[in-house]
Amino acid sequence: MKTILKTFLILIVAISASIAQGFKVKASGDQTFNFEDKYGRNQASFFSTTPLEDITGITNDVKGKVTFNVADIKTLKGSVSISVATIKTGIDLRDEHLRSDNWLDAGTYPEVTFVIKKVSDVNVISDNKLEAKLTGDFSAHGVTKEIVADVTMTYLDASEQTKQRAPGDLLGVQAKFNIVLSDYDVENMIVGQKVADNIEISVNIVGSNAM
Amino acid sequence: MNNRQKIVLLIAAVLLLGVFTWWLASGGEVLSKDGIWVEKEMTELDKALGLKPELEFHEKFVLGLLPHTAVFSGAVIVISAILFFIFKTKKNKETK
Repeated sequence: MKTILKTFLILIVAISASIAQGFKVKASGDQTFNFEDKYGRNQASFFSTTPLEDITGITNDVKGKVTFNVADIKTLKGSVSISVATIKTGIDLRDEHLRSDNWLDAGTYPEVTFVIKKVSDVNVISDNKLEAKLTGDFSAHGVTKEIVADVTMTYLDASEQTKQRAPGDLLGVQAKFNIVLSDYDVENMIVGQKVADNIEISVNIVGSNAM
Repeated sequence: MNNRQKIVLLIAAVLLLGVFTWWLASGGEVLSKDGIWVEKEMTELDKALGLKPELEFHEKFVLGLLPHTAVFSGAVIVISAILFFIFKTKKNKETK
């Protein structure tokens, strides 16, 4: 009976290990990556397109931490946030409107946050690169909605090259997802109908496990 | 229409044509902009990390239809109309 149980247990562990999708890199076990960059090189942007005008908004004030087992990306947990006050659209007056009470209300809700809940549809591209879908809670203007983001993650072992950016191993994350402004009780009228209700958000960030 | 009125109309037409040409050459944007987004050159490390080019804000005035072109055109039309009327009145007085 014991032998059968042992065999069964080994089989489960072996199957789990073969199903687990992650990075095949030097590091192992749980790793935590911090996305705070004092040089402001991380970037999050939104893009709105309407027949009247295309608008791009950018911020380099991106913070966050994620933790995952290197061998199993589905263990990924963490959050990323941006500061509303630092978003620039290229027009100072529009930036003021964006921060105003009727829009994103930077005073009351200073941050827009994405909290990761689940990783799915993992597609391993190479030993250090994979694509996945991240399901999580996106909070803006005091409203939280579940969204799904398409993400590409690249893991680089610490090297002379990576030291140029930050110490330790680096994790490059490129994410893209869409939100509907009206879902977040944002009054679109202040900036006029020049801003689309459907907004595309992109995140282009690098984290280090030595910060 | 006297010579002065003709000059006023000519200057107004040149100014309007000039500002609209400038607006079209600036990309025909609806709103004036204080700057533009430019893609930064990617380093080898950025490429290795799978990043896309970072956008950098460059301060540069881009003339838009609103408010600058519209306000300027409106001002040219109003001033031209006033001058046109003034010169017409003066000529009438001279005739009497």
